[in-house]
Amino acid sequence: MAFQGTKIDPKKFHKSQLKFYFFLVPFALFMILPIIFIFSNAFKPANEFFAFPPRIFVVRPTLDNFKRLFTAFSESNIPATRYLFNSIIVALITVLATIFISSMAGYALSKKQFKLKKIIFEINTLALMFVPIAVSIPRYVIIAKLGLIDTFAINILPLIAMPVGLFLIKQFIDQIPDSLIEAAKIDGANDWYIYLKIILPMIKPAIATVAILSFQAAWNNADITYINSEYLKTFSAFMTTLTSSTSPVVGMGMSAAATLIMFIPNLVIFILMQSKVMNTMAYSGIK
Amino acid sequence: MIFLKKLRLSTKETITGLIFISPWLIGFLTFTVYPLIQSLWFSFNNVRPTAEGLMITFVGFDNYKNLFLGDVTFSDILINYSLQIIVYVPVIIVFSLFVALLLNQKIKGQSFFRTVFFLPVIITSGAIMKSLLEQGATTFEGLTKIASNPILRENLPPVLFSLLEFLLNSFIMILWFSGVQILIFLAGLQKLDKSMYEAARIDGASNWQLLWKLTLPILAPLITVNIIYTVVTVSTYSINPVIDKIQTDMYRPELGLGYAAAESWIYFGVIVLIIMVMLLLNIKRKSRAY
Repeated sequence: MAFQGTKIDPKKFHKSQLKFYFFLVPFALFMILPIIFIFSNAFKPANEFFAFPPRIFVVRPTLDNFKRLFTAFSESNIPATRYLFNSIIVALITVLATIFISSMAGYALSKKQFKLKKIIFEINTLALMFVPIAVSIPRYVIIAKLGLIDTFAINILPLIAMPVGLFLIKQFIDQIPDSLIEAAKIDGANDWYIYLKIILPMIKPAIATVAILSFQAAWNNADITYINSEYLKTFSAFMTTLTSSTSPVVGMGMSAAATLIMFIPNLVIFILMQSKVMNTMAYSGIK
Repeated sequence: MIFLKKLRLSTKETITGLIFISPWLIGFLTFTVYPLIQSLWFSFNNVRPTAEGLMITFVGFDNYKNLFLGDVTFSDILINYSLQIIVYVPVIIVFSLFVALLLNQKIKGQSFFRTVFFLPVIITSGAIMKSLLEQGATTFEGLTKIASNPILRENLPPVLFSLLEFLLNSFIMILWFSGVQILIFLAGLQKLDKSMYEAARIDGASNWQLLWKLTLPILAPLITVNIIYTVVTVSTYSINPVIDKIQTDMYRPELGLGYAAAESWIYFGVIVLIIMVMLLLNIKRKSRAY
């Protein structure tokens, strides 16, 4: 019973399934729409951008947008690979650190009994609801006080303690039955062992989700408030300055091409992670 | 002796708990809580950036007063967008529950559909969504045509019609916001105890009864989670009119940071209020279901 989640596709198609397709197929089309849009937009020639009514599919695909973008790449003083390298490092560290830190905190908040835990989680949920840009200047003040302006670490540090991440992970750990952990304790497992061997494998879908979300936060982060040195900027910051410094008509095609380039890693991470999100949810192990 | 042992156990629990949580807590306190408190303090001050740093003068409730008495646009935008959130949330919850129930059925191509419905999580954050909105990809012609149908307009009461029109116009947005919610519901559905359903079926329960008497009550805590998650994503995603207004006011020299901070605290208050009302409704419904 418990392992049914690993083989979710029934082998045969049956007429009784038709009614489900009736709803699923049209909805699924809507869900794929933006992806198609991003791809076809990047190949649109300038006149198709301003066609009315706006079209989703490209009529006469062209590589002009990419050519312009790459010329702009080569005209900047620092090679684009430098920004790319920064971005990859930032994204990698952010994702790993976010998963580690929020799953540890989630375990403590969900399964440990101590006084502050309710308050901490409540503050976290409240912090979720606060307008992110409203804290940008106070955040600048504290980062300046800590002497972190213009350091590489500042690309990473503010992203790690992600309130959404803790929120999702804690909700998933709540679903794990306490009796499972008690059983492990009776067998002599310590907290670290329980965390590594029981909690982490069981919340894989949540971890994969948080990985996707935090990768996006890190990869798409174009915030250059804390960075002045060109050598420390990320790829997305570079893309933003590049596309916003050209004229709006040319810029539109360039930014569509840039959007596609920025988007592809998101898609790759998503495809890598989603099988974990979808397949490992049924391992509760207890009836 | 027993007492001492018990005390020791609970302190041990507290210490391990704090150790596990401390890396996260430190980051959270420095980069989220401290700036939050500071912005609350800003909202009671007149804050102007000068060459020597921030100039801060205490003005009490003046910012809040000016907001409600002097600024016509802010309360308008705020009320409008809050109404939008109130409409969005139940629709997203119902839609994602519906899709999750469908995806939980035994059908061919299930894993493909699951992937597709989770796909929007990689577009709803920030930059990509913005360019999609700008280029008008969030409305769908067929649907907007239904919305502008004169027969509907004449025969429906105006409140209902404008609601319908709004829903049809933002239909795609609703779909895109439901990725994580579908996932959460699906995870809950897969943990349901199958033997309970068999027992209910033997007792003669119909599918409809199973849904209302078994599935929904069990999913109730996840509905709460999803309500919070939905309100949060809808209210804080970077292209919404209220955040836009706060952002422009932040850099207007005659208003200053304090004013923008006051705006964001009011917005925050409204969102907390919305969540509380929705959660109360959910708890009521839950207790009735049992």
